[in-house]
Formats: sequence, structure tokens, C-alpha cells
Amino acid sequence: MKSRGDMMKKFKEYIALTLVSIFLGIILSIQFKTINKTVGEGVLPTQRAQQLATELKKAQNEREVLSKTIEELEGKIKQYEMGEVDKNVYVENLYSDTMKYRMLAGYLDLEGPGVVMEINDPPVDIEYGEMYSIIDELDLVLQVISVLNAADAEAISINDQRYTSFTEIEKAGNHIEINGVSTSTPIVIKAIGRADTLEAALNLKGGIVTMLRAYDYLVQVYQEKSITIPRSRKVKEFIYSIPFEENSN
Amino acid sequence: MGDIMRRHNPKIILTIFSIIVGIFIANQIKLKLETFTPVTIKSLQATKAEITSVNNEISELNKILKAKEEELALLENIAMGDDNILDILKNDISYNKLYSGQTSLKGPGIVIKMYDNPEERSYGFDLNDDLIHDVDILNILNDLKIAGAEAISVNGERVLSTSEIKCAGPTIRINGRSTATPFVIKAIGDPKLLYASVNAPGTYGDILKIYSIGFETTVEDMLYIPGYKGVFNYRFAKPLGEDD
Repeated sequence: MKSRGDMMKKFKEYIALTLVSIFLGIILSIQFKTINKTVGEGVLPTQRAQQLATELKKAQNEREVLSKTIEELEGKIKQYEMGEVDKNVYVENLYSDTMKYRMLAGYLDLEGPGVVMEINDPPVDIEYGEMYSIIDELDLVLQVISVLNAADAEAISINDQRYTSFTEIEKAGNHIEINGVSTSTPIVIKAIGRADTLEAALNLKGGIVTMLRAYDYLVQVYQEKSITIPRSRKVKEFIYSIPFEENSN
Repeated sequence: MGDIMRRHNPKIILTIFSIIVGIFIANQIKLKLETFTPVTIKSLQATKAEITSVNNEISELNKILKAKEEELALLENIAMGDDNILDILKNDISYNKLYSGQTSLKGPGIVIKMYDNPEERSYGFDLNDDLIHDVDILNILNDLKIAGAEAISVNGERVLSTSEIKCAGPTIRINGRSTATPFVIKAIGDPKLLYASVNAPGTYGDILKIYSIGFETTVEDMLYIPGYKGVFNYRFAKPLGEDD
């Protein structure tokens, strides 16, 4: 026989169960809402991501094709130019001048001996779990370039972007933009010039490499017999400035 | 005794089950979050940014392509005897001189005057905080370039791709020449943008002021920036594919 007390007990248990279930439901819905907020709405993002990925691939393909067409055109132009140049000495001199200024302006692929410098972010600190990256200290990269220039580097590239007079290095979110092209760590700086001088300038005691290593960056510097530095792919438009002839006093 | 156990059992079982379910759900959510990370809003934005940057490159390439096509057309004309190769080469030279900083330029822009802390008393304990270093100038120049500066000079020396800015004892070396404080940086470009790039709160120029380093910016309608006067000689670098 069930007593009145027993019935009460069962009733209380049901109430407890219901309360727990409601509580669980609320927690679950809160969880899902926060996930929706951080991850994005339901199925949509995956679709959007795929869409974006294909878009990116398309754009990259287009870039490839364009680069190839430009290369072909340049080949043809060179043939024509060379054909003309062989005709007389004045034109030949002028042509070598043209090449020199093209190299200087950064509109020519270059090749030569030099050094390669790789900067990797420090390994993740297990104790503190804190990450810092060269992305937050881009002036260190600026200093590397200044050191290379002081050692008479003839051409410099950062992550295959030619360093020209207009090259900016900018932090954009968690990546870097160089010449308006986004890139990321590791940073690979290449320089053509006298390899011994360049390497010594970087590795100077207390110099830039010492400094980077003191900040725990993983730095490698090595000489190479032949380095290729690509041409600049950016056209800077002069909107504000006008050339003028200087009157020598 | 047995009665008590039986009466307590459901509660204990319920508690244990609730805990298990809780852990289970937490694990599940964690797992799901991890598999979902590739499609977070952040990663979507990153891909989007990459797409715009690639598209920018494409438009740049298109410009180059157009220029090259024109050049080729001209050359074809020469081959047929209509035009002169000299004109083309001279054009090419003056164009590249302009882009490599050999040509003097004039236009609107800003002038920045930077000098060491003029006060007798030091700003901090370290005297180095009172002085201008090569990094300071490098950062300012980079900020100006980001703001689209078309030509920059430091104490009359044009800043080129090959310019070094390096502390050398009490002076700073630029283009192989020593200069000292005060540093006058001139930049041609959109005056508003240039001014903001070194004066807006949080910019490097703004931070320098906190260190009580002299930093004065003036906007000018007409600036004259000289071309580089030195001579270049390439001894190591050669155009790619010209090994004769």
C-alpha cells in the first residue's frame, strides 16, 4: 500500500525532474545562441565560404593568366628592341641606360648573388600561452631593410614583393600588406649585392639579428649564389606631383 | 537502512546522469566549434580580404598589360619604319627616372620637423628616450608611404628604394650622407591624408610627442623635392635571363 507520504515524495521528484529539464533546455538554447553569434547563422556560412573559396580561386587563376600574357608580351617587346638595338652604338648605349633605370625603378626581374633572411615567429610559450608575432613589430623589418641598404644591397624583396621607393609595410588584421598585397609570416627578405658584406652587416654583434633573436624570433641568414627578385607589379600614379627642372645656382 | 538507500538512490542517479549529460554536451559543443572554425565570420572576412587584394593585383596587372600592348604596337610601327626607336627608349628612361626618384618633383604636401627633446631635463630615466633614432624616422616614412606619399625627402635627401636610414653615432646616415637633428621630412601627396597619417591619435608620430620629442607638422601648397643626385652602378644584379 502506498502511503500519502510516498505519493508526496513521488510528486516532489517529478517537480524536481521537470525543473532540471527546463533548466537544461534553457542552458542548451543559450549555448546554441552564443554559437550562432560567434560562428554565424546555421548552414549559410559554409555555403558562403565555398562560394568565396571558388571566387578566390577564379581570381588567382585570372592573375596567373595575366602574368603569363604580360611575360609573353615582354618577350616579344624585347625581341623587337634587341633587333633595333644592334643597328647602331648610340641606340645600344641608350638601351643599356633604359635597362639600368628600369632596374632602379623596380620594373625588371633581377638575378644575382646575395643573402636570404628568414624571420619566423617565436614558438608558442607553453607556460604563458601568449603569442606575439613580427606582424606587431613591423618596424623591425624596416630596420632590416635599412641595414641591407646601408650594406649596398642592389635590390630587395620581402615575401617576393619588390621593395621600391613606394613600398609600404602595413599591418592589416592578422596579416601584413606589402605593396597592397596581403602576405603573412614567415617573412623572407632577399637582397642582391655583395653577399659577404650583406651577411656581415646583418650578423653584426648587437645588430639587427641579435636584436630579433633577443625577442625570441627564429632568424636564419644564409648566402646564395643566385637569387631571383621579381619585378614590381604595381603602377604608382602621380596625382599631386609634377616634375620640374632644377635651376642649378 | 535499505529503505533509506532506496529513497536516496533516484536522486543520486539523477545527479550523476545530469553531470554526465552536461559533460557530454560540453564536449559535443567543443568538438563542433572546432570543426566549424574554418567558417567563422573572421575566416570569411579573411578570404574576402584576400579576394579584394588579388583583384587589386589583377587591375594593376591589367594596367601593365595595356601599357605593354601599346609599347608593342609602337615597336611594330618602328619595325615597319614609321617610328623611331630613340623616342621610345628616351620615353622609357624618363618614365623610369620618375619612378626611381631621379626626377625633382613639386606639389602639395606636408613638412615634418623633428628634433630631440629640447628641455634640459630628461623625459625619463633613459636619455635615449629624448633622442630621435633611425627607427623613429623609418616608422614615420612608412606611415607616409601608407598614406600614399608620392615623393619623400629627409633633410634634402630623396628617399629611394635603396636609401638607408641608419644611426651612426650622433648622426643619422641617409643615402651615404650624414645628417643630424633637426630632421626635416618633406612629402608630396594628399596633404590631409599625409597630415592624418602622422598626427592622428595612436599613430607613431602621436606617440613620439608623448616622449616629448619635437614634432611639428605643417601643410604646404607647394613643396619642392629634389631628385637623387648620386650615381648608380649595378655590379651584382643582372636582368633575369641575360647570361651571355
